[in-house]
Amino acid sequence: MTVVSHIFAIALLPGFILSEPLHFALAEKLVLAVLILASAWLFWQRFGVVVRRIRSARKDADFRLFPLGKRIWDFFWEVLCQAKVIRERPLPGLAHAFVFWSFLAFALVTTNHVATGFGLGFLDPAGFFGRFYFLFAAAFAIACAISIAGLFVRRFLVRPVWLAHKDHSVSWESGIIAGLIFLLMVTYLGAFFVPDTGLAVRLLWWAHTLTLLSFLPLVPHTKHLHLILSPATIFLSRGGFSRIPPLADDDDFGLVTGKDLTQLTALQIYSCVECGRCTEHCPAANTGKELNPREIILGLRGYLNEFGTASDEPLLGRYNSQQAAFQCTTCGSCEFQCPVGIEHLPVIVGLRRGAVNTGEWDDDHGGKLFLALERNGNALGMAHSEREKFITREELPIFDGSQEYCLWLGCMGGYDPKGREIIRSFVEVMRFLGTSYGVMRREKCTGDPARRLGNDLVFQQLAEANLETLAQNKVKKIVSICPHCVRTIAEDWRAYGTPPEIEHHSEFLARHQARLPGSGSAAGQSSTGTTVFHDPCYLGRYRNVYDEPRAIIREYGTLVEAERSHERSFCCGAGGGLAFLGEEQGARVSETRVEQLVSTGASTIGSACPFCNTMFRDALASRGNGAPQLLDIAQIAAAALPGISSATPADSLNHQVNHQANNQANTQENP
Amino acid sequence: MSTVLVFLEAKSGVPTRISLEAFAAAAQLAASSGAQLAAAMVGSASGPGFALLGGASQIFALEHLLLEHYTADGYTAAYAQLIARVQPDYVLFPHTYEVRDFAPRLATRLGRVLISDVTGFQASAGQILFMRQLFQGKLNGHYHAASPAPCLISVQAGAFRADAPAATSVPAATFAPELEASAIRTQPGEPFRAAAQTVDLASAPLLVSVGRGIKDEANIPLVQELATALGAELAASRPICDAGWLPMERQVGSSGQTVAPKLYLAVGISGAIQHLVGMKGSQCVVAINKDENAPIFEIADYGIVGDLFEVVPALTAAVRKAKG
Amino acid sequence: MKIIVAIKQVPERDARIRIDSAGKWIALEDIEFRMNESDAYALEEALLLREAHGGEVVVLSAGPERVGQTIREALAKGADRGIHIVSDALSGYDALGVASLMAAAIRDEAADLILTGLQSDDLGLGQTGVILAELLGICHASLILKIEKSDSGIRVLRELEDGWFQHIDMSTPALLTIQSGNTKLRYATLMGIKKAKTKDLRVVEAAALGVSATPCVLLDSVALPSRQKTTQMLTGTPAEAAAKLVEKLQQEVRVL
Repeated sequence: MTVVSHIFAIALLPGFILSEPLHFALAEKLVLAVLILASAWLFWQRFGVVVRRIRSARKDADFRLFPLGKRIWDFFWEVLCQAKVIRERPLPGLAHAFVFWSFLAFALVTTNHVATGFGLGFLDPAGFFGRFYFLFAAAFAIACAISIAGLFVRRFLVRPVWLAHKDHSVSWESGIIAGLIFLLMVTYLGAFFVPDTGLAVRLLWWAHTLTLLSFLPLVPHTKHLHLILSPATIFLSRGGFSRIPPLADDDDFGLVTGKDLTQLTALQIYSCVECGRCTEHCPAANTGKELNPREIILGLRGYLNEFGTASDEPLLGRYNSQQAAFQCTTCGSCEFQCPVGIEHLPVIVGLRRGAVNTGEWDDDHGGKLFLALERNGNALGMAHSEREKFITREELPIFDGSQEYCLWLGCMGGYDPKGREIIRSFVEVMRFLGTSYGVMRREKCTGDPARRLGNDLVFQQLAEANLETLAQNKVKKIVSICPHCVRTIAEDWRAYGTPPEIEHHSEFLARHQARLPGSGSAAGQSSTGTTVFHDPCYLGRYRNVYDEPRAIIREYGTLVEAERSHERSFCCGAGGGLAFLGEEQGARVSETRVEQLVSTGASTIGSACPFCNTMFRDALASRGNGAPQLLDIAQIAAAALPGISSATPADSLNHQVNHQANNQANTQENP
Repeated sequence: MSTVLVFLEAKSGVPTRISLEAFAAAAQLAASSGAQLAAAMVGSASGPGFALLGGASQIFALEHLLLEHYTADGYTAAYAQLIARVQPDYVLFPHTYEVRDFAPRLATRLGRVLISDVTGFQASAGQILFMRQLFQGKLNGHYHAASPAPCLISVQAGAFRADAPAATSVPAATFAPELEASAIRTQPGEPFRAAAQTVDLASAPLLVSVGRGIKDEANIPLVQELATALGAELAASRPICDAGWLPMERQVGSSGQTVAPKLYLAVGISGAIQHLVGMKGSQCVVAINKDENAPIFEIADYGIVGDLFEVVPALTAAVRKAKG
Repeated sequence: MKIIVAIKQVPERDARIRIDSAGKWIALEDIEFRMNESDAYALEEALLLREAHGGEVVVLSAGPERVGQTIREALAKGADRGIHIVSDALSGYDALGVASLMAAAIRDEAADLILTGLQSDDLGLGQTGVILAELLGICHASLILKIEKSDSGIRVLRELEDGWFQHIDMSTPALLTIQSGNTKLRYATLMGIKKAKTKDLRVVEAAALGVSATPCVLLDSVALPSRQKTTQMLTGTPAEAAAKLVEKLQQEVRVL
């Protein structure tokens, strides 16, 4: 602010006026015209190719321009305000924003500058508006010059790893562009300090012009193409996070060849600015795996440059590997972080669809998973009778249409011993609250792992079968302990019907929090101590639920935050069907995340997803004694219910406690 | 007088245990239907095995050069000829891999259908009902023969208790079937065992699997000894392999091997889902765990709640003693 | 090589088994049906052979209307065409009767190989394939893990007991029953399902095949086993528990 007021103060000083050459010779005008044409021609040489290539791609069948409201807001917030750029990397983000805002400020300055060359200048440097505007632009020019110099230092001297290329080299073109921008600003600012007659002003004018005309053709030839494309990319986004588009027709099997790339995908591919934010946050890239989301996008750009959009050359081959595509946990960090509006998940899942729907993907564990889903209707390949036994043993009521909620067990809740403990605890809470609920006998996997691994056939079969069963049972509301089930039912099933309303148990618990015995109440002797909450990807980034589980944790313990939390949370490694696949390349994502959580010093890790839970359980096992206890928020809430003596129904040791609690709850209901 | 004819298989000239079980079943069937018992086995009539078939009133030694190695064509033809000669009411077989291979063919040649894998029989309303399992043992079925004699039955291993072989004074009669080499359309190779260079948990019939309860790498030999005593392969749950206490190839579970052995002995394994999905197909699960609420007990056939550091050595000793 | 794969549609493996009102069979309401597991492996072997040597894979199945779905699944996995012997009263036939229907339906196909699973998950007879071989007058081998083409015909790997194996050389045409688990099953794909829609599926009425339905063997009744699997806890001192376990391993599990 002080800078701005200083500028206004200076602006009032007489003589501090932008100098322009007073007149231009005909020869100069001719040279200028030729240079402009050459620059524009060079610009179009590349930009025309890119535009034609994007336009030649397949149309996005499901694209709808309207409603415009969200698009305009996203454009305002992410492009004009640079909100995402700044929020996720504040200092470099702000530097970038100043460069961007300067460019906006310079739109008028530059137009006038070129017009001056033809004697058509429309801003009078000495006039009131001109004087003000040139100084206004000068302020931005100073900010821009400082910013670009700072960014240059960062890229070439500090050298963060994610900015480097695959081969660890730095981008020389970024250096040149930075130099040109700096030069643009300096040549502009210089004109304030020279008289408007003489050689100096003319040289500065021409230096500015030549810099500008060199800069222009470089834009489409480098990643600075994002200057032009990314505003369009952000405005034209598919809408919705990690939105997997429906297959267009009978010949669409996902991203198999160049013919399958759509216009939006191509636009995004050319928009990539190679900032590496996606890679910086990617759990796969951070644990030594081949997958690097930026390289996926750049690989596709390489493909488009070489083969175009009409090629039968497989997309997984020279430029992208199948292995990398199947290392993605679909945590969504990349898409969430991307400042230029690239939607990575439809691309990565699209590549998987292409490989799985055509049978190209050959993986022992993956094949087993799909067969388990085909044959058993659950991801674990367990006998359905095991689920029935659990329902009988726990005396879970069967949903008959009279209850308010259908309690969706999911594969983990129905079959996994740990997942069952979470269900048990949540059921205790519902019983305490007197909530009417029931479970369905014929519930199948929601199809989440099939969906994320790109198996449209199995996903469709499961979604349709479940939708039919839900309709038969007249289910209106579902509550689930699994964020993956919630997301898949609420969003992905829409392709095949209208799913009932669904909420995650954290939302349910937070809503009923006032009626639960708090930690201070006579009954609630429980305290979980310092508790770090791990945001499950499918609850946080996918569903925007951050505060509800924290509300529960705060009630019974002291909440601490991991370095990566909320929308920057780091995946547990289970998503995208990876919980069911085999050995990981590099370090385990789960262990990396557990390390981050344990380093907070918390005595409890609070989770809200049975998949995170099972991943952490394994990772904690290898840490031996002294590791923090692992509790789902349902277990934390249930531990405070009256009649529960132990504060920590952790692990199987306290299994018995749970049983007792169950019995007591039962006797309470049936006196 | 009607006859029950039982075919036996021999290993090194001596009837196998399952053959003796089939022999016992045939003797029971003969006794209950007032029939005489006839027994037949491939081999030379002077072989030692034929003297062990006490209780049979007729004993046949099927002898032919072409029967030395098992072929479905050879056995079908030879057995059909003996059945034609003996004219039995019932023909019994042990339900072995060989019998499964040729007996349906033999039955078809006789215009009959084999009642296979029988676990028991009972007389009911003038006919004999044969029991067999359906749906992998989840259902029992009662069958009877609707066609004239002979009725062919194969007997499941372990369904009948074999008596100690009794000596017999009935001499074995050599039965030399008429066989043409050209009618045998398959050429069997020498049986071989798969080379055991690398661990193949999937095909190991017995597995001893160790989990987090073992606490320390130094305790692994304790479980290895039990595996060696049982003649089992050593397997492990993921934390053990992650810790590097055993190689990854020995990991059972969703990110390791899927196994379905005859015996899966889980030591100190609590039974996380990732582990259960890798071994749920096991025929018999034994769990040793100090926590009586460990989920592994939910799927175990036999459970011992106790300190594995006490139970495992005791079990190793008991196994060694039982094996003599 | 022309390969026929005989597959059976069976109740899913973990279906809830309840006896029907007549006590003759299980109640089929609410039952989902699947391709019999070892038949799925037979199909996989056939597809692998075709991929290696060319030819045609024909799937054959008998049963009511619903069986068509399992045949289409096989077509989706890659079989070239299907034959469906339609009968609503297949349970009236015994194994010989069913095999006779199949023999009548495929005699004119003159296949080089006929593959089928080792046994069905429901009846578990393990006979239909072998009977079919006898009816067609061709040789057979059962419990096959691997099939290779040889100069004179085929060479197959057969599983014997207790970890023993054996190679068998045989001429074609031949029938093989395939053991589960030796290969990796391919998963059904969207592309496969779409292609299957255009494949040829021949429907034959069982009654038109001129096969007698008079069975040699009758299933009188079915019953649930009296004892369901429960966990037997062995108690006592470690030595006592160990001794009890060894006894169980000898007497009941029979692995000692």
